Amino acid sequence: MYSYRLVIPALVMYGLVFIYPTITGFYYSFTDWSPINGILKFSGLDNFKYIFNNDALLLAIRNTIVYAAICIVLKNVFGLLLAVALNTAIRSRNWLRAVFFAPSIVSSIVIGLVFIPILQPEGLLNEFASFIGLGALRQYWLSDTSIVIFTIAAVSIWQWTGYHMAIYLAGLQSISNDFYEASTIDGANAWQRFRFMTIPLLSASININVMLSLVGGLRVFGEVYSLTNGGPGNASQVLSTSVFVLFGEGRWGLGTALNTLLFLIVSVAAIPLLRKMRKQEVEA
Amino acid sequence: MSLIRKRAPLLLLEAVMLLLSLTVIVPFLIMIFGSLKTGLEATAFDLTLPVKWMWQNYKQAIVEGDMVRSFVNGAVITCAAVALNIVTTSMAAFIIARKNTRLSGFLYYFFFIGMIAPMQLIPTIRLFQSIELYGTYLSVILIYCSINMAFSIFLYTGFIRTTIPQALDEAAVLEGASLVRLFFGVVFPLLKPINLTILIIVFMNIWNDINIPLFFLSDPDKWTLPLSVYQFFGMFSGSSWNLVFANLVLTALPIIVLYLFCQRYIVSGLTAGAVK
Repeated sequence: MYSYRLVIPALVMYGLVFIYPTITGFYYSFTDWSPINGILKFSGLDNFKYIFNNDALLLAIRNTIVYAAICIVLKNVFGLLLAVALNTAIRSRNWLRAVFFAPSIVSSIVIGLVFIPILQPEGLLNEFASFIGLGALRQYWLSDTSIVIFTIAAVSIWQWTGYHMAIYLAGLQSISNDFYEASTIDGANAWQRFRFMTIPLLSASININVMLSLVGGLRVFGEVYSLTNGGPGNASQVLSTSVFVLFGEGRWGLGTALNTLLFLIVSVAAIPLLRKMRKQEVEA
Repeated sequence: MSLIRKRAPLLLLEAVMLLLSLTVIVPFLIMIFGSLKTGLEATAFDLTLPVKWMWQNYKQAIVEGDMVRSFVNGAVITCAAVALNIVTTSMAAFIIARKNTRLSGFLYYFFFIGMIAPMQLIPTIRLFQSIELYGTYLSVILIYCSINMAFSIFLYTGFIRTTIPQALDEAAVLEGASLVRLFFGVVFPLLKPINLTILIIVFMNIWNDINIPLFFLSDPDKWTLPLSVYQFFGMFSGSSWNLVFANLVLTALPIIVLYLFCQRYIVSGLTAGAVK
């Protein structure tokens, strides 16, 4: 009685708009495609050779990986700490949960533009550092080429930690109190309870949070676009902003090759994690 | 005594957390206060209240930023894409959830790819150029609908499997309902809680996005709010940060209002799947 007819509208749209360009993208990656000339020739690995010999694009790859790595670690560590802290009986916890969650619902463009003045050399962050006696920490947050990608990661962590907190909170709330009572009787201290009970019981939440921060980190666009637009120079360029630049320059074959590279990096990073999640699901 | 000893760490924790929450609140206050200052006052970017409350900044930002148009663009694109997404994915998820075959398993993972893989932007442009839809609202609606399918199907399938009893389908079919009648007449109304969750989250994803209009809408008259606020920033950040701040507040406002009314559904949607 169930017929695949009802799947067809979704499948046709998804197949045409998402899957078809993904597949043709592999082909375009090996051509000298441009909007003016179309495809003149099949150029083999030329685009990829170009990418791996171009300093600006190599930096974009490096930035993307560094950015994603920082985001995965810190969004999860801070998110989990916040969740644990706000899973206690403190009185303002509902208000605090809402406050920490709030930045994640706003467009990253809005967040980026609000932080631009805060991160200026004479901006609030540096003034605050001086005010509390840490003037030595003043930085050119958005114009120093050696730290700009870390600054953008920090803004992203500021925006998304509360989102990961919400997922961890849901996980924490599903852990029965009986576990804790039993282990307290057995003489486990707070750290042991956290390390050997909370963490394993949170594995589903940890998996989904790591997956979301991984995919979000590698695919980052809005944060970089709004805070620096890849600058100064190309210092904070990441893969998806570089694809946009190459698109604007009419180097479509090269841009698509770079997009394919992003696809491969995301897949290589995500597939082992997906496998692990599936295995745990079967065991559970 | 013991009560104090028990309460003291909690009070300390509370104080630390309240202090920490200032790091979230302060940037929002800078934006809100800044939006009500004069241009000169706003460029100090500090945490002072406006000397004179310049409510007219908002009117000026709306007029000069052509914000009504961007708001309507965003509303049309987002509502159409969300509606199309909900109708197509709930039908698909119903079949995927009910069928227990290799094909349905494959379809589930096939759609799931969209949650992980980044879309190929330039080949998608090529596709829409070849069917002469590039630059239209319709192209953007189709793209948003498609790239959010993975998330919706994931949530719908889980909900249908665990919540909607199969006996219901059988009863309806015995009474002579067709598959389409069964789905829209019986099953779909029961999906109301998850419909709301998906509606709100997909709505937020689309409303906040800048990537798609940047690649697919070259005509500024068709831009949505996040893209037009960025453009506005480029034009006014030299002289009138107060107007930029007003524009930013107005861009964030619709989503914040939505959040205030639908907090429950947003959080339950984000956390679905995280709890086993």
